[in-house]
Amino acid sequence: MRSIITLLAIPVSISIILLSLSSCKNSGSGSEESEHSMGSTNAEFNQGKAESTNNENFSEDINIKLVNFEQLKPAYINNDDVLYVVNFWATWCGPCVQELPHFMEMNQKYKSNEKFKMILVSLDDSDNLETAVKNFARRMKLDADLYLLDDIKKMNEWIPAVNKDWSGSIPATLVIKNGKTLSFDARALTKEELEERISKHL
Amino acid sequence: MKTISKIAGLLFITLFSLGTLSAQGGYKIGDEATDFKLKNVDNKMVSMADFKDAKGFIVIFTCNHCPYSKAYEDRKIALSKKYAKLGYPVIAINPNDPAAQPEDSFELMQVRAKEKNFPYPYLFDDGQKIYPQYGATKTPHVFVLKKENNKHIVKYIGTIDDNYKNANDVSNKYVEAAVDALLAGKEVEVKTTVAIGCTIKVKK
Repeated sequence: MRSIITLLAIPVSISIILLSLSSCKNSGSGSEESEHSMGSTNAEFNQGKAESTNNENFSEDINIKLVNFEQLKPAYINNDDVLYVVNFWATWCGPCVQELPHFMEMNQKYKSNEKFKMILVSLDDSDNLETAVKNFARRMKLDADLYLLDDIKKMNEWIPAVNKDWSGSIPATLVIKNGKTLSFDARALTKEELEERISKHL
Repeated sequence: MKTISKIAGLLFITLFSLGTLSAQGGYKIGDEATDFKLKNVDNKMVSMADFKDAKGFIVIFTCNHCPYSKAYEDRKIALSKKYAKLGYPVIAINPNDPAAQPEDSFELMQVRAKEKNFPYPYLFDDGQKIYPQYGATKTPHVFVLKKENNKHIVKYIGTIDDNYKNANDVSNKYVEAAVDALLAGKEVEVKTTVAIGCTIKVKK
């Protein structure tokens, strides 16, 4: 019986390996349109300015807290049985921008659950917070808890504190409950992968 | 049912170990780094073996499009000007697939190299064979190598310094400290660092 299980498991695991490899490849690629370089961030800056003047009626303001890592920690490291999904992103990061709609979809689905919280941590330059980042957040209707982590000089301390294996490439997504890491992915996630990481622990 | 749960368990373990592998793949400090033969922006092929007098190398995986790579452009040039003559030339390698990030095409590499008058080779990892061996995960990602018995031994992996945004407010120049230590025949003190960077772009 055991040998049958092993025989069955091997080809299945191989196919899963192949599948996951190809999904890694997919997730690594950026959308040309959405990939923002610093230059295009400036373009976005200007575009954002134009938008806000043309859109005087837009009253609902977006709240993005500017924090250092010590201030960010209490937002997701708590002994409260809440499943925190923490995504690190930036407006200029193509794969990040591509996966954000999945995060919004999952947040819509789960946010009524009091044991669930989604946190989006922008790593944009804090100089762009009021302009490019907020305009982007409005445009994308980011309704999770939003932070901009501005702790440039301590990257070498807080990156390993988020996850010891993280080299600092974004996007990266941490799923954590009671201060215990349940998953960490330093790559873009598909909607299915994200949902799997949430539903498994909720 | 038991069978299914066992298979599921195995699958989970396979997936989990894959994740770990991809996170920890590539060189560690003390490993021997492979040489390469990659096309430079001047259309000539470049290998580390071409630098007969080099004591080591500052290999930087970098690219055109990434804001962090751009922010470090002048500092890469300064590193090259300072250390090439001391025996540690900078070699920049673009690991991105232009099919996934058109700003990082070979032609645009040539344009950028000319605009900024790069004093170092700016090579194209055509086919993306080299960066996975090094274990580069982002741009910029620096590997300082020291030549020991004609092998290139990895001595430092990480970021250039601790402030991408403001070169005037840097407290730790990690790469300079590493190369200075090697030049002085000393052990590198901070051997690995991490920093936020752009993922290496791979075609779908």
